[in-house]
Amino acid sequence: MRRGQRWIVLSALAAWVTWATPAWLHAQDTPTRGGTLVVAISADPGHLNPAITTSGATHTAAELLYNGLLGRDERGDPIPDLAESWTIEQAGAAYRFRLRNDVTWHDGTRFTSADVKFTFEEVLLKFHARTKASMGGALAGIDAPDERTVVFRFKQPYAPLLLQLDATEAPIIAKHVYQGSDPQTNPANAQPIGTGPFKFVSYRKGAEIRLARNPAYFKKGLPYLNELVMRVIPDPGTQVLALENGEVDFLWGVPGPDQNRLKADSRFRMAQTSYHPGGSNCIMTVSFNLERPILKDVRVRRAIAHALDRDAFLRQVLFSEGRVATAPISSELAWAHARGLNMPSFDRAEAERLLDAAGWKKERDTTRVARGVPGVQDGTRLAIDFLHFPAFSKYGELMRQQLGAAGIDVTPRPLEPAVFAPTVFKDRNFDTNVISYCNGPDPEIGVRRMYHSSQIGPAPFTNAAAYRNERVDTLFDLAGLTVERDKRTPIYRQIQEIVVQDLPYYWLVETPTTRAWSAKCGSFKGWTGLFAEAAFCNR
Amino acid sequence: MSGRYLVRRLAQVVPAAAAILITAFVVIHIAPGDPVLALAGQHGDAAYYALIRAKFGLDRPLPEQLLVYAANVARGDLGVSYVHGRPVASVVLERLPATLLLMMTALIASSIVGIALGVGAARRVDRPADLIVRIAALVGYATPSFWLAQIAALTLALGTGWFPVQGITDARQVWTGWRYAADVIHHLALPALVLAINELALTTRLVRTGVLECLATDYIRTARAKGLPERSVVRHAFRNALLPVVTVIGGRIGMLFTGAVLVETVFAWPGLGQLLLSSIQTRDVPILLALFLLVSLAVILTNVVTDLAYVWLDPRIRYE
Repeated sequence: MRRGQRWIVLSALAAWVTWATPAWLHAQDTPTRGGTLVVAISADPGHLNPAITTSGATHTAAELLYNGLLGRDERGDPIPDLAESWTIEQAGAAYRFRLRNDVTWHDGTRFTSADVKFTFEEVLLKFHARTKASMGGALAGIDAPDERTVVFRFKQPYAPLLLQLDATEAPIIAKHVYQGSDPQTNPANAQPIGTGPFKFVSYRKGAEIRLARNPAYFKKGLPYLNELVMRVIPDPGTQVLALENGEVDFLWGVPGPDQNRLKADSRFRMAQTSYHPGGSNCIMTVSFNLERPILKDVRVRRAIAHALDRDAFLRQVLFSEGRVATAPISSELAWAHARGLNMPSFDRAEAERLLDAAGWKKERDTTRVARGVPGVQDGTRLAIDFLHFPAFSKYGELMRQQLGAAGIDVTPRPLEPAVFAPTVFKDRNFDTNVISYCNGPDPEIGVRRMYHSSQIGPAPFTNAAAYRNERVDTLFDLAGLTVERDKRTPIYRQIQEIVVQDLPYYWLVETPTTRAWSAKCGSFKGWTGLFAEAAFCNR
Repeated sequence: MSGRYLVRRLAQVVPAAAAILITAFVVIHIAPGDPVLALAGQHGDAAYYALIRAKFGLDRPLPEQLLVYAANVARGDLGVSYVHGRPVASVVLERLPATLLLMMTALIASSIVGIALGVGAARRVDRPADLIVRIAALVGYATPSFWLAQIAALTLALGTGWFPVQGITDARQVWTGWRYAADVIHHLALPALVLAINELALTTRLVRTGVLECLATDYIRTARAKGLPERSVVRHAFRNALLPVVTVIGGRIGMLFTGAVLVETVFAWPGLGQLLLSSIQTRDVPILLALFLLVSLAVILTNVVTDLAYVWLDPRIRYE
């Protein structure tokens, strides 16, 4: 091989290795024992029982104290955790789990199948909103025939179970601690006893939570850290300053304007993930209120889609932290995500043509007016409102600017989340809005609720568009009953093809978040709530 | 001052607090917003949201909720926090010391330094030192505390490494005894400085103006004519100039708390300001009502103390 050819091959090899090595892992990550990791968290969790809430604040702070029956690997596939193996029976209507026999609670009590049965029946299915909403109606019963076996029986085949058993979706809590008490007021919520890699030490409200290494952790040799401190720092800018000042070691997110600065600084490392304890695999999505006459015509919705330059959203709002959405299901759920869909792309001329065809004409004013639009009085201006959380105000500004150029007058209406949800889902007082719809680990959890007609109603973050399509309903029902993933893939593809044609929503950008940490620390598992299970710090 | 006057003033606190609480309750509930979302998260179903609503009595008519709440408060029960799941009193009380420490440090420091600068400027009126103090006070008063907080963090913390940018203690070390106190003071320095700047500027301007006005009065002229040393003259003027300053400092307690919300958020100071902000975001109504009550009572009681201070400062004042 000539020298030039060798250089090309070596360069290609180096590039491939760089690309193929997960950003979370680095060659120099040689774990050492001991040390303290300080993690910045955005909000005081209030309590430390992740089984009674889906609050991101509680899960972020508390998951390292617990385990699920299963974990998830970097690709999102289920792996053993408290359960060492499992089998699927009765075509997916029953799941049998074999539990590890070397697990103890932090107080030394042995972990058994009774803990699992108790956690699901008395806590998760009553108080954990996602587990209750998705699994509650489908489950027929949970059996614990012996100390190391748990069987979940469903009324009919239930597909997503294996992705609903990690510490985020179903943390297992101790029966001997919670039995006979109200799980929401049990004092153990503030002084938790789990099975996780870290044990509770102290909780100073509004300030910090201190955890210590669990020496009896069932994964031998882990964790490496002696101590882990969750420090409450509400302001994202202060979090970055605290990292730069050496006061904290790990951030769950980095504001866009700060990313380049940290990226250029060799003292820090960064990686992206779509996992978040409050909701994973999220897509910023514009909802059209299909009950409004202006938006009933798919040509108007398609025109709005063509008028939006999503690359500009990615650059100007997310500082390129994310991806333009190419399908209704997140690309992180690769097996369900449909590639090559005919998604409307930025084409203002096409938007103008569609609006003209739909009867919205440009006259003297810059805003179009109705001329022969069904259900709309002639002369009505093409004016819509756009509801968003205050944190998403830049989306409102870009919508106003980009749709204004096509003759659509947009009025952004920023509303606090606690106001936004009833306004959109209960009062249905909106034309359009933007929501960070999180797909979750399986489309059954976070996608179905956006499109199925049974999900139109006051419950927040359901079918905001009030979209009804019998075929789509049928396909979702079928996907939920189909356990084999390769058989579910074409079903979800059909669904996505239909909704891209109907456009009850328009999918703007996928929004992974960037984690940042001190280069003195490493081996984080950013894709799971047990993110510091194998982490270390060389301080 | 008669004891009867004091009793009457304190008795007025009860109806005032009741009126504040009822107004706050109605205003919070009239404002749009649903705490259930913060409690149940994004993926709950309708039944779950209904369960949460029923658990906290949010499904009852508003007048009934108000009556139940008022009866509980009359018994000394401020309710249970939606988010924290614990009695409101304990959630508020465990954050109170941090805010008191921050506010009192800022208030005392700004009062002492502000009075010193104000008197100093008045004694050197229209000279360079007076000009510098006036300009600095104007800039300090006009500077928003959230901006000042960011600049202080960037320069005094990140720039020099002298101060931490967040928290009340060092996360990596758990100190006890005097080292703990030193650690807290080290963390207190920047937030207290930022919170104090605005108050300092206001106090400086007030004292300077008050002392200058007093120095121009007839009794000061008489004192000087009698040959009283200038230092004694200024002391006489200063005591009379303090009356408006005391009024303003007493009335600033509420404003100081507002400033504490911003400063506590920027510096991650675990006090009531942070709690107020997060409770607004999550519509944790019981916490919000308790905080409104606490701040209102603080303002009312400070006014009573201010009235008492008048008597001490000016023996001519009598309350009947």
